[in-house]
Amino acid sequence: MATETLIWLLPLPPVLAFFLIVLFTNKNKALSHTIGVGAAALSWLGSMVVFSRALGVEHLGERPFTSSIPWLPTGETWLRIGVLIDPLGAAVLFFVAWTIFMIFLYSVGYHNFGQPEGDHDRPGLQPHGATVTDEHGHRHVVPSVEPMYSRFFAFLGLFAFGMYTLVVSDNLLTLFVGWEIMGLCSYLLIGFWYGKESARNAAVKAFMTTRIGDVFMLLGIAFLYSATGTLTFREIFTEEVLHALATTTTPILGLSAVGLIALLLFIGTVGKSAQWPLHVWLPDAMEGPTPVSAMIHAATMVSAGVYAVIRMFPLLTADFDGHTLTTAMSVVAFIGAFTALFAATIAVAQNDIKRVLAYSTISQLGYMIAALGIGAYVAAAFHLITHAFFKALLFLGSGSVIHGMEHGVLHTGNHHVDPQDMFNMGGLRKKMPITFWTFLVGGFALSGFPLITAGFWSKDEILADAFGHGHLAVFVTLAVAAFLTAFYTMRQITLTFLGEPRTKEAEHAQETPWTMTVPLIVLSVFAVTYGWVGIPEHFPLFGGILPNWFHNFVGSTLAEEPEALPFNLIPLMTSLVVALGGLLLGWLAYRNVKTPAEDKLQIPLLKNKWYFDEAYDFLFIKPSYWFAETFVYKWMDKGVIDGILHAFGHATAFLGTWIRNYIDKAIINELIGDGSARLTQWFGGRLRPIQTGRIQQYMLASLGVLIVIGGLMFSLLVK
Amino acid sequence: MDFINDHLLSLILFLPALTALVIFFLPKDEVKLIRWTALIGSLFPLALSLLLWTRFNLNGFGFQFQEQYKWYEALHSTLHLGVDGLSLTMVLLTTLLTPLAILASFGITDRVKAYMMLFLFLEVGMLGVFLALDLLIFFVFWEVGLVPMYFLINQWGSANRNYASLKFMIYTMGGSLGLLLAIQMLGVSFGTYDLPRLYELWPAASSLSNIPAWLPIETIKTIAFWAFVVAFAVKVPVWPFHTWLPDAHTEAPTAGSMILAGVLLKLGAYGFLRLVLPLYPEQAQAFAGALAFLAAAAIIFGAFGSYGQTDFKRLVAYSSVNHMGFVVLGIAAAAAAYGSSNEVWKASYPIALNGAILQMFNHGLSAAGMFFLVGVIYERTHTRNLNDFGGLFPLVPVYGGILIFTSMASLGLPGLNGFVSEFLVVRGSWPILTLYTAISMVGLLFTGAYILKGIKQVLHGPMNEHWAHGEHKLTEINAREILVMTPLMALILWIGVWPVWILDVINRAVLASF
Amino acid sequence: MIPLSWYLILSAALFSIGLFGVLARRNAIAILLGIELMLNAVNINLVSFWRYGDVTQMAGQVFAIIVFAVAAAEVAVGLALIISVYRTRKTVVADELDLMKW
Repeated sequence: MATETLIWLLPLPPVLAFFLIVLFTNKNKALSHTIGVGAAALSWLGSMVVFSRALGVEHLGERPFTSSIPWLPTGETWLRIGVLIDPLGAAVLFFVAWTIFMIFLYSVGYHNFGQPEGDHDRPGLQPHGATVTDEHGHRHVVPSVEPMYSRFFAFLGLFAFGMYTLVVSDNLLTLFVGWEIMGLCSYLLIGFWYGKESARNAAVKAFMTTRIGDVFMLLGIAFLYSATGTLTFREIFTEEVLHALATTTTPILGLSAVGLIALLLFIGTVGKSAQWPLHVWLPDAMEGPTPVSAMIHAATMVSAGVYAVIRMFPLLTADFDGHTLTTAMSVVAFIGAFTALFAATIAVAQNDIKRVLAYSTISQLGYMIAALGIGAYVAAAFHLITHAFFKALLFLGSGSVIHGMEHGVLHTGNHHVDPQDMFNMGGLRKKMPITFWTFLVGGFALSGFPLITAGFWSKDEILADAFGHGHLAVFVTLAVAAFLTAFYTMRQITLTFLGEPRTKEAEHAQETPWTMTVPLIVLSVFAVTYGWVGIPEHFPLFGGILPNWFHNFVGSTLAEEPEALPFNLIPLMTSLVVALGGLLLGWLAYRNVKTPAEDKLQIPLLKNKWYFDEAYDFLFIKPSYWFAETFVYKWMDKGVIDGILHAFGHATAFLGTWIRNYIDKAIINELIGDGSARLTQWFGGRLRPIQTGRIQQYMLASLGVLIVIGGLMFSLLVK
Repeated sequence: MDFINDHLLSLILFLPALTALVIFFLPKDEVKLIRWTALIGSLFPLALSLLLWTRFNLNGFGFQFQEQYKWYEALHSTLHLGVDGLSLTMVLLTTLLTPLAILASFGITDRVKAYMMLFLFLEVGMLGVFLALDLLIFFVFWEVGLVPMYFLINQWGSANRNYASLKFMIYTMGGSLGLLLAIQMLGVSFGTYDLPRLYELWPAASSLSNIPAWLPIETIKTIAFWAFVVAFAVKVPVWPFHTWLPDAHTEAPTAGSMILAGVLLKLGAYGFLRLVLPLYPEQAQAFAGALAFLAAAAIIFGAFGSYGQTDFKRLVAYSSVNHMGFVVLGIAAAAAAYGSSNEVWKASYPIALNGAILQMFNHGLSAAGMFFLVGVIYERTHTRNLNDFGGLFPLVPVYGGILIFTSMASLGLPGLNGFVSEFLVVRGSWPILTLYTAISMVGLLFTGAYILKGIKQVLHGPMNEHWAHGEHKLTEINAREILVMTPLMALILWIGVWPVWILDVINRAVLASF
Repeated sequence: MIPLSWYLILSAALFSIGLFGVLARRNAIAILLGIELMLNAVNINLVSFWRYGDVTQMAGQVFAIIVFAVAAAEVAVGLALIISVYRTRKTVVADELDLMKW
């Protein structure tokens, strides 16, 4: 098959699976997951074929796989949509395909396929476990299968479709289509257990927060489209177009058109990638089932945000001279760096195993955004991919931990124990060895454990870029954030896996089935090895053993390939110190902590996420609800507008009554109608006396009249 | 076949009336027979308009399938019918929604005969507006559509129906008074009501014959322009003329709301496109800013109004204000760009108009679907209060799925129809009306908020035990109701994924006429 | 030959006597008699003008004959009315027949 055709087909299997499951196989769990996982496998296979073919093409950056068709008639022109796989696309496609496939597989085990139906499970709530009786007559409580098992795979399929669409798009419009479809899916999946109040609120919060970014992004797209007449990347990223955009000024903040467009598009990313100040939805998104968290946080949605900025990098840097950051870039760098540090400070005080990871994701995404803000294109892309692998690994690992803990909860029957609270865990390394080791790999990669993990290489490259180009503020911020990252990661590992079990439930935790552990192992392999494709050439000892394939490959996407930086010892030492120091400190501080009370870092400000939720609630949500319900509906529509209408009604009624009372009744009826009658009556009354009824009087009168008239006539006529 | 070809439009227009006549002679207790006669009778216009669609010459210029009959010779008014790409899409929408609405009203048991006849007359009125090429005929059908709707709301509506129907009737009639006057002025002054002739005569007119006028012609044109605009703005409805809409929609029977939102609102927008822009290009340009302001206000306040509701149907009703605002925004952009020499503007305004017209069609689909779904749940629970629902998803999963799908179309999710049109409008309006387009995004944001609020309050959340057991047990959406939704959902998806089939027709019409 | 004026004077006198009778008498029969007198006074007038005018024109005589016929009919109807009134009211005095008075 031609590669272009294959690329067109990549997103299709998951969406077909979605429709098949929703319309036909919803009742049959086994068939549904076969279709779902099978579709993911097909797309994965296709992606691997595309990836390997992309590797074989020389100068893929100049001659990428691309094809397009006309989609919308727009006056005299057509809007074309199409697919594009250039080096960046290929690299992203690679990790997307892998993580999505692994997440599909993992979901089979996570939702307890093969287990009995729950005793009183109902759709929309987490399964509560089922009671089974074994051959000896003992009753056990075992995990029960998810009631909406089939639906989960349908949603995942749609999600995968969104991500594939986004990655293979050659234009902003279909990128946006995939982007929004993922938004919907994240809404549906976060609210998967919609019976929980918290889940349904979290779902709405996620959708709305990202939508704030999306509407700005839509504006950015509209602006870009009207300014250039096209949305296709390769047509926009040409010298002339970018130059024309860069030299057009706009009235807003003195930005050039290109800067404004880049910022508008970037706001979309702020929402989607949960950057400050739109970060609030992501921790709440933990309400979804864990594979969902992994989908959202690692493989797809949040990566999509960063991916979009990487795609739009030529726009962002169109008027960048290589030294002084433009306004747009400074904004991006500031938000990224600030988010990286800010989210890390929150992560150190969280006790929910998934929330820690959520904040760590925000923080890591901040890294990438900051990298893009200072122009470190390749480093950002590199960190995006390594992060996707190890964060997916961590999320799936945490899901495995939770799953094991739930097993313990079912065993003891004490449902008050929160299986996600790290202070209920401890000592799980013995109970869940595979989970422990893979989690350790993921955690070390996240902390940037030197040399062997992928996280080290990508993070180091960002730090080196920041330092090398003299953006010291960014460098310091990121370094501090990296230290905190290592610290809270070690805190998490220590609390969860090391030491002794703190609860009975933790004692009875169990290793999870193979469908869950295999993805962990696969991902942990990538979490280590993927770093090796991007080792800088001038790195001491290791540089040059393996070629810096990533830099050359992805760098070739840009018209001007970025140059590799000369090696510098300071950033390397920094990253070594912060990673190892953080890990060590985390272990020292938490190896003997038994209860939250002993934890010195349970600072209210950090614990409550700097009160952002409360502030937003006070500043935006409550006012907008008031505005909608009270101002717009009650006051404006019901009050003013309907008031005016009703006033018209009343005025008309008043006018009608007035006319009736003072014109119709008074003048027409009284004066003209009745008045003439009364006048006649009055005259009649006056004239009545002459009606004597005596014929002779009448005749006498007639005679008189006759004489008078006769006399008159005589005197007048006879002259 | 020649007969059909030559009289296609009058057949489409008058067949519903014929069906109504047939129903008139049916015994009033034969409810089933009446329902099926109405349904099958309304399928003929649909079949014929599909035929019309296939026979329509895409490359043809001007109005096609024209028919002209004597009507009122003393006034020089003729029954002149014709279609272009714009009216063609609207005719298709009308003939599609009417059978669905009739199918949706199979649950009506009270005075079925009168109900069905009114519905068919309503269809005649709406089709007449879309097909008329004579101003007087246009006005006649414009008013004809009003009366059946009034009775449908007034007789088959819910609690507050008297207030709502009266408000609807008086508001719309009040709006169209000026329209009638302005139409008379045009007709008397040129001795014809024929639209294609007036297109040539009126905008170029520098004086009025036959009418003693002591005002300058520009002032007269401006006054007539506003007379037209107010009539159509009430119908669209443009903020602040919108408050009749939530009341009328909320009180109307389900099928009535479907048609009201699906087609009647389009009459207003159609009036803007068919009459205001071609007849008053200069005035429209001069007041485009005001129109855009009102459109942005409709988008924003419509969204907020919707968000502030606790009545499910009222929420959906307000969403119509929000969505129709985009239509008006696109129209305002096209108005502002009239005669501009700016290359970007010239390239942009057809996009805005494409979006506006497609949005009319799309809103017809999704709003009709939403109202129907509200009706489905209202029929079962007899409440529309969002706080009475909650957690219904496990009870009615199929209904829930359909509701989410349709809501997402309404929300403008990419991949479904609403996105295509909203994107086109935003794209087309951005360079021309940058500020208003940007402000409208607040409305777009809150579109999400109210849609999600609806879903959250109805489907999500802890299950409401009240509807789970016993006499209140909520039953799943039935086959007939799914049948109503199927064509709508299919079209929603089809337009969302591959809009060329309809957008091409619209695009050519836009290029030819504006 | 007797001059015309003599006839006219006679006629006027007769008319005046009749008129006086009609206006002054209370008895209905007398009133009727007065009317007859007045009619005959007119007849005298008609005939005399015929005789002293163009004799070939017959109008005067014809009118006189019509007046006779009318007078006869009038007397018949008038007397019948009076008799009828007398039967119901036992009176023929005109002043007492005042039903039409307000």
